[in-house]
This record gives sequence, C-alpha cells and structure tokens, in this order.
Amino acid sequence: MYKLILKLAWKNSFLRRVRTLLVIIMIAVSMSMMLVLEGVYDGLVKNMVDKNKRSQSGDISIFAKEYRVSRDLANRIKNADEIKAQLQSTKGVEAVVLRVKADGLLSTARKSSFASLIGIDLKEEERFGKFSEFLKEGVIDFQKQGAIVGIELAKTLKLRIGSKVVFSTQDIKGEINSIALHVRAIVQTTNIGLDKGAIFIDINQAHKFLGTTSQDAMQIAIRGEDRELYGKLKRAFPNLDVKEFLELQPMMKMMQDVMIIFNSVTFLIVMGVVFIGIFGVMYVSILERVREFGIMISLGMPYRYIRAQIFLESIVVGLLGYLAGAVLGAILLIYLERYGIDLSAFSDALEMWGYEAVIYATIKVSYFTTTFGAIITASLLSVIIPLSRIKKLNPIEVIKADK
Amino acid sequence: MSKIILIIFISMLNLMADEAREIIKKLDENFRGKSIYMKLEMKILFMGHERSMKMQSYSEGTKKSFVKITYPPKDKGITFLSLDGQMWQYVPKIERIIKIPSSMMLQKWMGSDITNDDIVKQSSIVEDYEPKIIKKEGSLVTIELLPKENAPVVWGKIVLNIDTKSYTSSKDIFYDEEGKEVRYFIYENVKKVGNYYIPTYWRVQSSDVEGRYTEIFLEEVEYDTKISEEYFRKSALKRFSK
Amino acid sequence: MFKLALKNTLFYKGRSITTAVLTFASTILFILYISLLNGSHKSMLENSLKIYTGAIEIYHKGYRDIGGNEYLIQDVKAITDKLAKIDAIEAYSSRYETYGLLSNKEHSAAAMVAGIEPKREKILSSLESALREGSFLDENSANCLYMGIELAKKLKLGIGDEVAFIGSASDGSFAADIFRVCATFKTGSFEFDSSASFITRSYFDELMYAKNRASYITIKLKNIEDAEEVNSQIITMIDDESLESLTWKILMKNMVESMEIDAVFGYISLSLFMVVIFFVIMIYGFINVSSRIKGFGILRCIGLSKRDVFLLLFYEILILTILATALAAPIAAYICYYYSINPIVIEGIADMYKDYGIISNEIPFDFNLVTFGWNLGVIYLLNFLSILYPYMYINSFGPFEATRHV
Repeated sequence: MYKLILKLAWKNSFLRRVRTLLVIIMIAVSMSMMLVLEGVYDGLVKNMVDKNKRSQSGDISIFAKEYRVSRDLANRIKNADEIKAQLQSTKGVEAVVLRVKADGLLSTARKSSFASLIGIDLKEEERFGKFSEFLKEGVIDFQKQGAIVGIELAKTLKLRIGSKVVFSTQDIKGEINSIALHVRAIVQTTNIGLDKGAIFIDINQAHKFLGTTSQDAMQIAIRGEDRELYGKLKRAFPNLDVKEFLELQPMMKMMQDVMIIFNSVTFLIVMGVVFIGIFGVMYVSILERVREFGIMISLGMPYRYIRAQIFLESIVVGLLGYLAGAVLGAILLIYLERYGIDLSAFSDALEMWGYEAVIYATIKVSYFTTTFGAIITASLLSVIIPLSRIKKLNPIEVIKADK
Repeated sequence: MSKIILIIFISMLNLMADEAREIIKKLDENFRGKSIYMKLEMKILFMGHERSMKMQSYSEGTKKSFVKITYPPKDKGITFLSLDGQMWQYVPKIERIIKIPSSMMLQKWMGSDITNDDIVKQSSIVEDYEPKIIKKEGSLVTIELLPKENAPVVWGKIVLNIDTKSYTSSKDIFYDEEGKEVRYFIYENVKKVGNYYIPTYWRVQSSDVEGRYTEIFLEEVEYDTKISEEYFRKSALKRFSK
Repeated sequence: MFKLALKNTLFYKGRSITTAVLTFASTILFILYISLLNGSHKSMLENSLKIYTGAIEIYHKGYRDIGGNEYLIQDVKAITDKLAKIDAIEAYSSRYETYGLLSNKEHSAAAMVAGIEPKREKILSSLESALREGSFLDENSANCLYMGIELAKKLKLGIGDEVAFIGSASDGSFAADIFRVCATFKTGSFEFDSSASFITRSYFDELMYAKNRASYITIKLKNIEDAEEVNSQIITMIDDESLESLTWKILMKNMVESMEIDAVFGYISLSLFMVVIFFVIMIYGFINVSSRIKGFGILRCIGLSKRDVFLLLFYEILILTILATALAAPIAAYICYYYSINPIVIEGIADMYKDYGIISNEIPFDFNLVTFGWNLGVIYLLNFLSILYPYMYINSFGPFEATRHV
C-alpha cells in the first residue's frame, strides 16, 4: 500500500512539472548560495584563528605575571624548561613550545625599525603550528646566524633573502648588544603583529645573545583542544599569567561571535522564505485536487493514507530541492575551498585585519545536515494547513462541487 | 718552480693583509691613543641654518668615554658616559640621569649626523672588519674594510683613504650592502701631537642629502695624559656637569 | 485594463496577500539592512575620525613617508588664515608631534609627545572624552601631560608624577624637560594608548622652538561628505607645491578598504535574500497565472493582444507592489530614522570589547533618502522581473489551446 502511495506522491509531484521545478530550483539556488556564504565566512574566521594560534598564541599561552604589561627581560619565566616538561605529561596538551623574545632595533645601513626578536625552535614550531607553511620566500633555516623576518618588516627595511641586518637590544645585564643576522626567509603569518615586527632566530642563539639560559622563556605556548585544560593550567600555575587564545585575541573572539550570529540570521531568513515558497505550491496543488481526494475518501481510503501521500509529496519536492542544492553548493564550496576568492584589490585592509588576500571556504558536514533538517521541516510544515482543510471536508459535497 | 711562485704569492697576500691591518691599527691608535682628551667645536648645518656646540671629551681605550657640553648655554652641563656598550646621559635642566635604551642608539646624537651608535661602537673598525689594500700611490693607501661574517655592523663596506706618513685618513666612505654610498667623513688639517697625528677638521655628510652636514673642529687635543678614573663612573655624570 | 487588474488582485486573494506580504517584508529587510550597513560604516568612520585623524589634514610633502624636522610645516599661520575663510570647515588645529624618550627612574619608553591646542582640540577630536583620570589640558596647563593609560602603566606613572622627556627640538638641537602627568586617557586602541601623550602647544612650542611650525594641520568639516570638494578648494587656496592636503579616504586607506570589503559581503548576503524572495514571488505569480490560463485564453480570443496581457500582469504586480511598499516604506523609514537618532546599543558584550579597542558600542542606522530611493527601485525592478516568466508561460499557449486548458 505504501508503495502505491509513494508512487502516487512521486507522480503527483510532477503533475505540474514547471511549478515543481520552480520550487526545486528555488530551493537549490538559495540553499547553495547560503552554503557558499556560510562556507566563505567560516573559512575567513577559521583561517585567521588558525594562523594566529599556530604562529603565536596557541590555544593557551603562559607568561610571567608582569610580562604583558612590560615586555622586559626581567619579566621572564625562570623555570620554563621544567614547566614545559610538566605540561608535556599533562593530559590534553598536544604540543608545547618555548619562545624567547626581546624588543629592540633592527637596522640596515639606511634604515632602522623597531622589531621583536623571537627565539624559536624550528623543529618544535613545525610540530606546534607547521611554521614552514608561512614561508613566502627563501628557505626556512637558521644556519650561520640565519633569521626569518615578517613580510611587512622586510618591506619597511627593504630586506631581501640574503640581506644582512643588525639587531640591537639590552641583554640581561642591561648592556646594549648587537647581533648580525642574515635573512634566510620571509614569512607571512597574517598575524599583523608578527608580520610587521618579528624577526625569528634560533632559540639557542637568542639565549646566547640575550644572556638567558635554556631554562628561561618569555612565553610558553600550548596547543590542546581540551576545554578543561585552561582551568586546569590556571590552577596549576597561580604565579604565572595563563591566558586563553580568546583572551589574547579579543578581536577574534568578536569576529567569531559576529559571524555566528550573522550566519544564523541568514539561515533563518532564507529558510523562512523557502518555507513560504514550498507552502504556496503545496497549498495550491492540494486545493486543486480537493475533488480527487474527496473521491479517494469516499472510496474508503483512510485519511491517514491521504495525509501520508501529501506529506510524501512535499518531502519529495523538498528532498529534490535539497539534493540539487547540496550538489550545487558542494561543487561551489569545493571549488572555493581549493581556489578561493581573490580579493587582492583590498589586500591592504585584509592584511590589516589579518586576513589573506585570497579567501578559502571551509566545508563542514553540519552545513548539509542542518539545511537538510530545515528543508525537510519546512516541507512538512508547509502541508499542515492544507491538510487541515482537507480533514474538514465532507466527501460528498466535495464531489458535488463543480470545482 | 710554480709552487715556489705560488708560495711567494700567498705569503705576499698575507703580508699585504697584515700590512692593511697594521695601517688600520695605527690609524685607530692615532684616533684614541691610550687615552685622549679633546676640546672641540661641532657645527651642524641643518635646513639652511648653522648651530654650534662646544664640548670636552675624555676617553680611554675603546670602552670608556665621557663627554661634557660647554656651549650653547642652554645645553651647558649635559654629560654623556659610555661604558661597556651602555650609555647614560645627564641633563642638568631636569636633574636626571637617563639610560639611553637600545632603541635610541641609532638616533642622531645631539642633532648631528653622528649616531649614538658611532660613539659607542668606536672600537669596531679594528675588530669587526677585514681590511684590504686596494690602491697604493706613494704614501697614499686606499683600504677597503669588509665586515667580518658575523660582525654586528650595518655597513656593506667602508673605504678609507690613508696617508701612511701620518696614518690619518682624508676620506672615509660608507657603503650599504648593495654597494651604494651612504655617507662619508672628510678629514683635514692634520696636526702632530706628541707621537700621534690627528686631523683637526672633520666633516660628516650623507651622500644623498644636500645642504646638511656636521663639522668638527678640534681645538685642543692631549694624548695619554692620565685621565682620572673618576670620569668613567656613573657619579661623574652629575659631578662633572658643572 | 487597470480595472481588470485591480479586480484580479482582489479575486486571487491568496496570491495577492502572499506577494504583498513578501514584498513588504523584503522592502523592510532591504532598507533596514542597507541602512544598518551604511550606518555602522559611517559611525566606524566618524568614531575613528573623532579620536585623532581629521577629515582633511595638511602636511608638508615627505612628512608622512620619511618624517623628521625637515618636513615640518614652517608657516602655520599663513595656512590657517586661509582656512578660516572656508565656510565648510568647522574647526582646524595644528599639531606638533615628536618622538622622544619619556623616562621615569628605572623605566623609559620611546613615545610620541604631541603639542596640541586644547581649546580647538575639544571641538575637533574626542581626545577629551577619552579621559580616564585627572583633567584635560587647557592653554595654561603648562607642563601637564595627557598620557595614554597603557603608556602610564608601562612607565609606572600615576597622576601628579613627574616624568623626564628628552628629544630633539624642531631645529635639531637637544630638548629636555620635566613633565607632569595631569591626566590619562584611554581610546581603546592599544597602540595609541601605549605610545601617545599630549601637552599644550603654548608650553611645548617654547621647548621645541616650534612656534608657528607644525607636523600637520588637522581639519574638521561641518559635513564629512564634502571632504573631496573642500579639499580641492583648500589645495587651490593654499597653492603651495611643497604641501599636500589629504582627505580621510587617503589618511585612513585601510579603514576605507575594510569597509568596502564589509559592504561587498553585506551586499552578497542581501542579494541572497533577494534571490530567494524573488523566486517565491515568481512562483506565486506563476501558480496564479497557470490557474488562469483558461481566462487568458478567453481574453486573447476576444481580441486582447499579447501586449495587453503583459500590461494586465504588469498592472497586477504594480498594484501589489505599490500597496506593499506604500506600507513598508514609511515603517522602514521611521525605524531607520529612529535608530539613526537613537542608535542601537549593544549592552553587555560591548563593555568587554570596549576595553579592547572597540571605541563605540553604538550602531546607528543611516537615514538617507537617496539610498531609500534606490532600495525601492530595486524592489520594484525585482517584482517586475518576476512576471516575465509567467508571461512567457502564458504565451507558450495559443489562444484556443489556452481556453481548453485544464
């Protein structure tokens, strides 16, 4: 019996072919557009958050209490190596890196600029945040006083691969020291602070230059998605400044929030209108066939079969629209995930906010599942009012009626 | 045979390198002696008008120096002390000793074309560069200084024109990494003081900026007179300000 | 024909109501959305302009790229005398900015110290409203420093504390003085708050030999939209090759660009809504038309031309659109107008963000009749477009074929 109903529903859906097709196209177009929009926005934020975490703050960063107010060598963590070992055996911690930092002056024969010297361990940074992926030019290598500079800093000082620069700062004794460095690579992290002012060198070289030891660090950055980790670390190190990513990057937190709100509002509006569209078509199509249903009821078909048939009809339409939309959306998203949207015309502003000039979309399964839920719900809801009209019908009158 | 020539050639190269090093060393000695006291006037031409300053300078070796401004009246009594790569300044008007941070080291010193860095890093000419004779004409020698691989200096090279009769330079030219001229020093009026020779007129000028330079006239120079250790203490900043 | 159309719209109630409601909703959505977009951009801009950057600023060429005493404006009065004659300028002021060392015993920091004219600055910028502690500068506040709160923190300074300044005066000579921290400010921009401090020009000029000299002259306009026009007026008036006069569009290129991006994304989302709504209106039109094919057949048989049929459909949609927009426009206008005067304030979240660099938590709408006009135009256009397909559909039937259509 249900097989028959399904067949009927399928056939009826295409009774008015153009109409049904229009609804399907409507669902498909609006859904795919919405998916693309969601994908691009999410991609934008995710990319930014991801790069920031990888290049700088990790999920959690630990500093000495005073360090973030006054970036002075005196405000360093003095048992960083112990803490690192302790962290590595903490559950939920995926990667830990130590970083040594000092602010000073970076100069060439013609120009000088404020810069931050950051001592890192390349191997560990690679594990921590795939540092090599930030490479823009040159080779990632610290051999022979090699250094890696941020792209904007390189522009300011007109640096190229192979350029020699001198970094001067006060060492731990307060003496002003200088070190010659050779630019081996230029990186773009899209983390504005780093791109504008960072010069990376080997952490051991940095220790030697600053007079610190391998026990010292200015920052301990931690990767670990575990939600409880932050609280746990905060309790474990009450004498240190333990900061979560979003505390360190409040702008990003705001962007994330805005995007979520924005995407939900878009979703609701689009689905609302889609609902009205399906509703209109279903309503008309049912009312047109009131006589048909009257005959079926008077022939003894129970109301629930008619109800099932109508529900099935609307689901068929919704499902077809969904499938078309999902395929179209997926194709667009895959394209945008691979090739991105080129917004180089606005590259200055994008970089200022830490975006890249080419924006790549993300694809989440949830896009498809939530839209699926919404469209099927919309389809089902759309037939409730027409159905209630049918239920009230008196079959005899319906057949008699000349319409 | 060819081997012998090669050996001679190499040893000659070495000799020449040694010779260059020797010249630079002597030049450097002339500039500082064991200790040196100078009284000098500095004239700065800037935007069409000239400013004049007078000062006294005491230095010993490469790591200690003390400078006191004596003119103009508004700057009188400002003192500088550089010691082991650190630099302090005392300003009587505000009665404060200020430590010059690294970020200020490349600032122009008292508005001249000399940077704080030039003053603090005087020693580097001998330590940080590899000298090479590139021209020799009688007693006039042109020496090119190339920075040692990891020397913390910004210049791509420095070319000095030295008279080996007095071991003084007549012109130093500073180049950037790409070999372009950045600035030069001119020295004139060499005077013999004791065992040393010293030019008493210096001029610093940027190569691509017109109408702006700094001139230095040495009024008095004394070598190797024992300068009191008192000058190279932080307390000197205030004490010798008057 | 118009009467027939009117009758039809009254007869096919379902279609009419849905179309009208959708048009109504989309009109309101459209207008509010654009108004919010423009409004938030405008306020973003105005906020940043208020803080420190002027709508127009006049520089000596080279100051912005290279900087330094060589590139100071040497005769401020000659320029401001001319500016005073331009009506569209609300206020102007000159600033003398210099970088020097501020030092407090153990702690020193390189910082910007800017000589300002407090009285004029009060009209020009919101520097005063960023006040956190103490009292804002005035002409007689002498060596009082108005210091960024982060800078004060860095130097461990409190209100009333002395701080030494050393730097170089405008002629390159040495300058040093003791300042007193009289007030602190917080604009929310960390970079600014951690590096800037202000002092009254009347005092600072003596120290820096900066009388009648300036880093630049900043200008506030009565109406920011006149910037380009006033700027060209200024350029002809001062007529000096060595100076440049720039509008906020160049001074804040980054911000302008990011607003453009934001607008692009905004329009993309909006077009999504419009596409969906357009589809629905078309579908309703289509359903309606297809149920009336017989009727159209008859109309054609009794001598109506294709053009007449199109006119009929056109009138129908016109009636519905006019009805919907006539209702929607005043409502939308009222909402825009209301919120342009009483901006939406995001409570709660804003307090947290305000500490981090969001300067204002107000999001005003923009009330602009031109924008209004083109928004309505788009709605009309979309609705007209939505009858094209139904019209083509009718025409795919011959008149007789149509009369027999079931």
